[in-house]
Amino acid sequence: MLKFLRELTELKGVSGFEDDVREFIKEKIKDKVDEVFVDRMGNLIALKKGSGGGKRILLDAHMDEVGFMVTNINEDGTLSFSPVGGVDPRVVIGKKVIVGKDVEGIIGYKAIHIQRDGYLNAPKYHELKIDIGAKSKAEAERSVKIGDQVTFSTIYEEVSDFVIAKALDDRCGCSILMDLIYSELTIPHDVYFAFTVQEETGLRGPAILAEQLQADVAIAVETTTSGDDPELEKQLWSTHLGDGPAITFMHSGYVVSKDIFDKLVEVAKKHGIPFQYKMRTVGGTNARRYALTGIPAGVVSVPARYIHSPVSVIKKSDYENTVRLLKAFLEEF
Amino acid sequence: MSRELDTKELLLKLSSIPGPSGFEDEVLEEVEKIMKDLSDECFRTPMGSLVCVKRGNGPKIGFFAHADQIAFLVVKVYEDGFLRLSGIGGWDPKVIASQKVTVHTRHGKFRGVVGFMPPHLQTTEESKRVPDYDHLFVDVSMNPDWQKIGIGDLVTIDVQGFEKSGTVFAPALDNRASCVAIIKAAELITKLETKAQVYYVFSTREEIGGPGAKSAAYASELEYGVVIDVTHGDEDLPGFPKIKMGEGPAIAVGPVTNRAFVEHIRDVAGKFNVKFQIEPIPGRSGTDTDDVQLTRIGVKTALVSIPLKYMHNPYEKVVIKDVEDTAKLLAFSTLGLE
Repeated sequence: MLKFLRELTELKGVSGFEDDVREFIKEKIKDKVDEVFVDRMGNLIALKKGSGGGKRILLDAHMDEVGFMVTNINEDGTLSFSPVGGVDPRVVIGKKVIVGKDVEGIIGYKAIHIQRDGYLNAPKYHELKIDIGAKSKAEAERSVKIGDQVTFSTIYEEVSDFVIAKALDDRCGCSILMDLIYSELTIPHDVYFAFTVQEETGLRGPAILAEQLQADVAIAVETTTSGDDPELEKQLWSTHLGDGPAITFMHSGYVVSKDIFDKLVEVAKKHGIPFQYKMRTVGGTNARRYALTGIPAGVVSVPARYIHSPVSVIKKSDYENTVRLLKAFLEEF
Repeated sequence: MSRELDTKELLLKLSSIPGPSGFEDEVLEEVEKIMKDLSDECFRTPMGSLVCVKRGNGPKIGFFAHADQIAFLVVKVYEDGFLRLSGIGGWDPKVIASQKVTVHTRHGKFRGVVGFMPPHLQTTEESKRVPDYDHLFVDVSMNPDWQKIGIGDLVTIDVQGFEKSGTVFAPALDNRASCVAIIKAAELITKLETKAQVYYVFSTREEIGGPGAKSAAYASELEYGVVIDVTHGDEDLPGFPKIKMGEGPAIAVGPVTNRAFVEHIRDVAGKFNVKFQIEPIPGRSGTDTDDVQLTRIGVKTALVSIPLKYMHNPYEKVVIKDVEDTAKLLAFSTLGLE
C-alpha cells in the first residue's frame, strides 16, 4: 500500500491541468483493469469486471489539487496570479512554487522593516507576486505565459507513521483507488474507478459521469479536514488523525443516502475496522454531484491536517484502514 | 589555490546551514574551512565570532559580516505534540504559516510543520487576520519521540535555496551573502599586493542587537572597519533613492561612517570600475556599524550593503553579480590606505 502516493502528490495537477496525474495513473493501472478510457472532460475511468450477477459500484477520487493560475505578466518580470480552488492567501507567502512544467519561482513579500500599519491584515492576492528571477516582462515571457498553472513544490516525506505532502486532497484518494485496483477483488460486482477532474472548482468532473455509466451507487473517496490542533476546542474538531476513516452523514449541499451510510458503518463494525464520523458538515464532495445526477452516493475520507495548504499531514494507519473499509464494503455490498 | 571559488555555490552552501543568533558554530566551522586557505591565522573570540587574519605591515582594516540568522524558540509544548514559538529576530508573521520547520534539540533534529486551519473550518473573523505567535503552532506529533523537545529549543524554517538567471533565492542571505562577499574578497586579496593587515570577521548575534561584531573589533584593535550587510533592493522608500538589484553594492553615507574613508572607497570603486550605489543613512544604521564605530578609541567605519529583496522572508533574493562586485570593492579598498 501507499506505493504510488509519493509520485502522485509530487505531480502537478491544478483543476483543469490534470494531464500528468491522469497519464501517470493510466500507465500504472492499464494492465490491471478490463477497460480504461478518458472522457470528454478528462475524467479517467477504469472498469474492473466482477464475476457476474452483481451491481455496478463507482469509486471516485479527484485528481486535481488546489493551486493557482498566472493571470498577468508584469512589466518588472513578476507574475500576478489567482487561486484555483480554495487557497487561503495567508499560506502562500514565502513558498517556492512551480509555474507551468518546471519554472521555479517564489512568492515573496516586502520586508517587515518597511511595512506600514496593518501588517497582521490578511494579504490579498492582487498584492502578491511570483518572482521567477526575470528582470523584465520580455524575459519572463520566454518561460511562462498567462494561463499557466502554478503549484506548490513540497517534497513528499514520511516521518514514522505520518505522511507530509502537498495535494493529499485528493491524491490520497487516487492512491487508495490504485491500491484497490492492485488488490485481489473476488466479488460479483463491476467496479468503476473514476479518477475525476475539477472537483476543487465546483465538483465539475463527475457531472458527466451519470450519463456515461449506469452505476447503482457511488462512493467519493476523499481526504478531509481534521482541525485537531491547539487552535480548535475538541468539540469543534472535524476528525482526529489516527481514529480511522471518516464516514460522512451529511456535508455541504448533501445528506448522504441513509442506506449507504448505514452500510459503511455496519461493514466497519463487522470487520473491526476503526472508523469515525465526520463531526463537521462543512465542505463538499463529489458525492453531492453524483446524487444530483441520479446516483446515490456516500463519502469515506482519510482525515488530514492542514489541507489546501502546501504541507498537509495524514496518518498511514488511517489510509490503510480506509483501504480495508472500502474493500470490505465492495465484498459485502 | 586550486580553482576560483564559485560565488553561486558558496551562497547556496552557506545559506543551507542553519545558524540562529547564538548558534552560529556550524556556519562558522564551514566558513573557517574555506578561510584557512585564504588567511594566515583564524581564531574565535569569547563571543564566538570567527576572525581570520591576513598579516601585513600597513594599516589594520576589518571586514565584518554577521553570520547569524533569525529563527524561533520553543516557548510552549502541548501534551499532544504541538508547540508554540517566539521569534529570535524580527519575523513577519505572514511568512511563517504552512512551512516545514526543523526543531534543533540536544537529542537531535525533529521535523515540524507550522499548521494552518483549512478554509472549511475557519470563521470569517479569523480569516481577516494573520495569526501571530499566540495562534501559530508547530505540529511535531509525527515524531515518535517528540517528548524530547523542550522549552528553549531552536526552530528554523526548512527551505532549499536555488539559483535562476544569475539570481539566488535562499534562506538567510541576510547575512550569508555578506559572508560570501568577504570570502571572495579574501580570495582576491591573496592575489593583490596590499600592505594592509586585514581582519575578516564573521560575527555572531547581530539579529538580537548583540555584541558579536563589537567584541571582535575590540580584539582586533582596528583603524578601519567595513561592515557588510544587506539593504532593501528594488523597493520604493519615500524620500530615498531606490537601491536597485544588480546595480552593485550600496555605499552608506552618514554619521555612522567616516567621511574620508568612504571617499576613499568611492575613489577606489571609480578607479577599478566597480559599480556601486549611494545609500544615505541620516542616523544610526541598525547594523553592526553603529557599534564598531565606537570601539576602543574609535574605528573609521564604512557600511557596504548588498541589495536584497524580501528581507526576513524564508526565501530572500540577491543577484550574484552584486555579491561579486561587493567582494571587489572590499578587496580594492585595502589598497592605498595610509
